[in-house]
Order: sequence, then C-alpha cells, then structure tokens
Amino acid sequence: MFGGLKEKLQAARNRLGSSIQGSAAAQAPPAAETKPGKAPQPAASQKTPSPAAPSFTDKVKILIVDRELVVSEKDLAEALSELEMTLLECDVALQVTDAIIASVRTTLIGKHRKIGSSIDDLVVGALKSALLEVLGTGFDLVQYIKTHPHPVKILFTGVNGTGKTTTIAKIGFFLKKQGFTVVIGAGDTYRAGAIEQIGVHAERIGIKIIQHQEGADPSAVLFDTVQYAVSHKIDVVLADTAGRFHTKSNLMNQLEKIKRVMKPDLVVYVDEAVAGNDAVVRAAEFERTVGADAVVLTKADMDSRGGAAISIAHTIGKPLMFLGTGQGYDDIIPFDPVQVVEELLGSDA
Amino acid sequence: MQPMDQRELMTLQHYLKEYGQQAEIFVSQLDMLENGRMEAHAAIEALEALRESEDAVVLLQIGGGASVRAKVLEPDKILLSIGAEVVVERSNKDAVEYLKERLIEMEASQKRVSETLNHLQSQMNEINKRLESGYQQSAAANQDQD
Repeated sequence: MFGGLKEKLQAARNRLGSSIQGSAAAQAPPAAETKPGKAPQPAASQKTPSPAAPSFTDKVKILIVDRELVVSEKDLAEALSELEMTLLECDVALQVTDAIIASVRTTLIGKHRKIGSSIDDLVVGALKSALLEVLGTGFDLVQYIKTHPHPVKILFTGVNGTGKTTTIAKIGFFLKKQGFTVVIGAGDTYRAGAIEQIGVHAERIGIKIIQHQEGADPSAVLFDTVQYAVSHKIDVVLADTAGRFHTKSNLMNQLEKIKRVMKPDLVVYVDEAVAGNDAVVRAAEFERTVGADAVVLTKADMDSRGGAAISIAHTIGKPLMFLGTGQGYDDIIPFDPVQVVEELLGSDA
Repeated sequence: MQPMDQRELMTLQHYLKEYGQQAEIFVSQLDMLENGRMEAHAAIEALEALRESEDAVVLLQIGGGASVRAKVLEPDKILLSIGAEVVVERSNKDAVEYLKERLIEMEASQKRVSETLNHLQSQMNEINKRLESGYQQSAAANQDQD
C-alpha cells in the first residue's frame, strides 16, 4: 500500500537530511580550527571520566557536538522544493502539499539544533508531524457506536463503481466481529443486480438484510430497515444507496429525502484511493452538497501514490474512517494516522 | 449422488455474476493503464526526437487526418502535468526522465492488477466447475425420476 509514496518520501527524507548535513559541515570548520587549548569549557562539560588527556580529534568532536547548528531557509530551499514536487507527483492535493511544506519549513528552519543530534531523527520528526497534521485524527467507528444511542444509523454514499456495496459488507463483517448486531438496508434499488449482490454478501457474512423490489423507493427500504433495527434492538444499521454523481440533481434530491426519512447518525462517503486527486475533488463536492461525516477509501492496496489518502481529511475537513485493501471481507482496516505515518516513513522512523 | 440444492446453485450463479462484474472493472483499469503507458511512450519518443531535431519543426495534427508543420518556439521548455492538477515547466531531458519513471510505475500497477485479475479468474473457474457439476447432478436426478 502506497509503495511509490513511501519510496519517494524516503528519497525526500534523505535529501533533506543531506541538506542539513551540508549546512552543518559548512558551519563546523570554525570550531574545528579552534585550538584545543582554547576550549576548556566544552571539554569540561563532557561528563565521561577520561584518565588520559583527550586527543585533538576528541576535542574537535566535543566542540562540534556542543556547537549548535542553525538551519536556514537557504539550506533547505532546494530540498523543500523537491519534496513539494514529490508530493504533487504522488497526487497529493496542492493545498495539502503547501500545508506539509509549511509545517516542515516551520519545524526545521531557524531552530537551533545540536550538531550531535541525529539529523535523520530531526527530518523524520518534521515529516511525521507535518503528515500527522494533514491526516487528522481518523475516526474510531467502534468507539462511536459504543458511545451513541442504538441503533446507530450509517448511510453510505458515493459515485458509481467505487465498491460501496462491498465496503458495506466488509464493515458489517468488521462490526459483527467486534460483537455488534448489524442489519443492512438494500437502498440501492436503482442499479440492476444491486439488491441481489448485497443479498449474497449479507448471507455470506450472516447479517440480516432488509430489501424491497428493484425500482422501489430507497427511502422506504431504509425506513423499514431502521424500524426493524429498533424493534429487534439491533446495534447498527448500514444503509446502502445507489451510486451517484453530485451533478445529478434528481439523484441528489433522492438522497436528501433518504436523509430526512432515516435520519442517519453518520453519512459516510465512499470512493476509491486509485482515483487520486479526483476522489478528493468529488469528496469535497459531496461534502458541500449532501454533507459527509467520514470517508472510506477502497482499493488502497492498488494505490501506489497514496495522494487521496493523504489529502482527503485535510481538504474536506472530515476524517478518513477505513481503507479497503483487497477482495476478502477481512480486507478492510480502520484508518490510523499514526500507523500510516510509521508505515510511510519506515519502521526505523 | 444427492443433487445440488437449487439455492446453492443460485448462490453460485450470484457469485459468478459478482466476480464477473469485478473482473470487468479490473479489465477496464488495465485498459486505462495500457492507454496511459502508450501515451507516455509516444510522448517520450516525440520529446527525444524534438531534442535531436535541428529546426524544432513538428507535424501538428489538426483533426480529420490533416496536419500542418509547426515550429516549436521553446523546445526545451516542456509543460508537464505531474498530478494533483498541477502543471510544471521542465527541461526536455527532465520531462523524459519523469515520463520514464511514470512508465515504470504504470507497469508495476499493471502487474498488480493483472495478478488480482488472474486470482479472480481462477476463482471464477472454480465456481464454474462447481456449477457444471451441480447442473449435471440435477440432470441425472431428473433422469432417474423419469
């Protein structure tokens, strides 16, 4: 997942590191030129007892370690510009790229750093905090369900063909494993075969499904689903809807009606990670027109660039909830920003 | 031998249909990747030819099979869409390098999608086999009853 982005971030991290290293080397010579005899303070500050007189090399080392390095804008300009290109090439939205660059710049530039401290740690720390800022906090669905009155009604929306129905089945399976009771409402009465499709999924994962005939009013199906959940004390309602583009006003009106009738607690927007920046633009449009509380990105395993996953939360201001990562019902992972950042910047980060 | 339950047969048919739909999506993704790859190849060839050309004259297609000779004003300033709807200016050499990197990425993506598609197709073959044997069992059971 996001292999290309990981590789490019690694290169950007090395580039930033070597820029700072270059700056350190440029600032170090005056210290190295200082005569050993003129530097009693740094030598005294070295706590380690040394029976023998310190050699010239030791003293120079101490001087450099104790000197402070000031990272300037000039030192990093080129490396930051490369990082910017790297992020844009990975389809990270322009405003998110700007935010990441600004954060890295603020963290690194003008700060006094001990030359002896690890430059790589410094760079990784700056990149990590920049990425965490734009990734937001994620969305803990299990915690949300535990802390809200039941049934928790979740409405899924999104454009056609992004894997909404399969995602609902995966989330149903995930919630069932967490010990919740779930009912699915087959609200996609528009697409041929959609009711059959979700019916097969529901049967395979052992979840009750409420369905009407093809072409029926989706609001009625989902209203019945909520009624069923209330009367059977079900914890969660997962409501499927037909895929739609935000430009289709009749379908958007239908979605408004569904929202009025079933009063969802959460509206979840589903799109595919491989769509890159298009997914971000579409999510922003959906958020503007019908509103969304969280986002699920499917096919994340196929996405090497990771642009949508990095950009979506910051761009639309709503958290990423899950990442779909394969064909099986188990192939869905709750989005954890810290884990994603660790993955991107390597285990040693 | 007990004939296969009709319900099980129907479920298998549903699975087959669903896998078929998923396979179609992956095939269209493969097509898109192949188109992107071909386009990148063509762009690399054109840029390399432009770099070697002395007069920077190219054939500009204007539709309907008609072309005009056009002189490229700045053959070493290439406007390149790099993603996230951002276009940057690169030198000819850098643009070719970028496109070559994109080619490698697209080929890796093609490989991943192909693997998933193969996996899906092998699952579909399995379901087909089970369906076939289910149909044969039903037919045999019907003959026994006659």
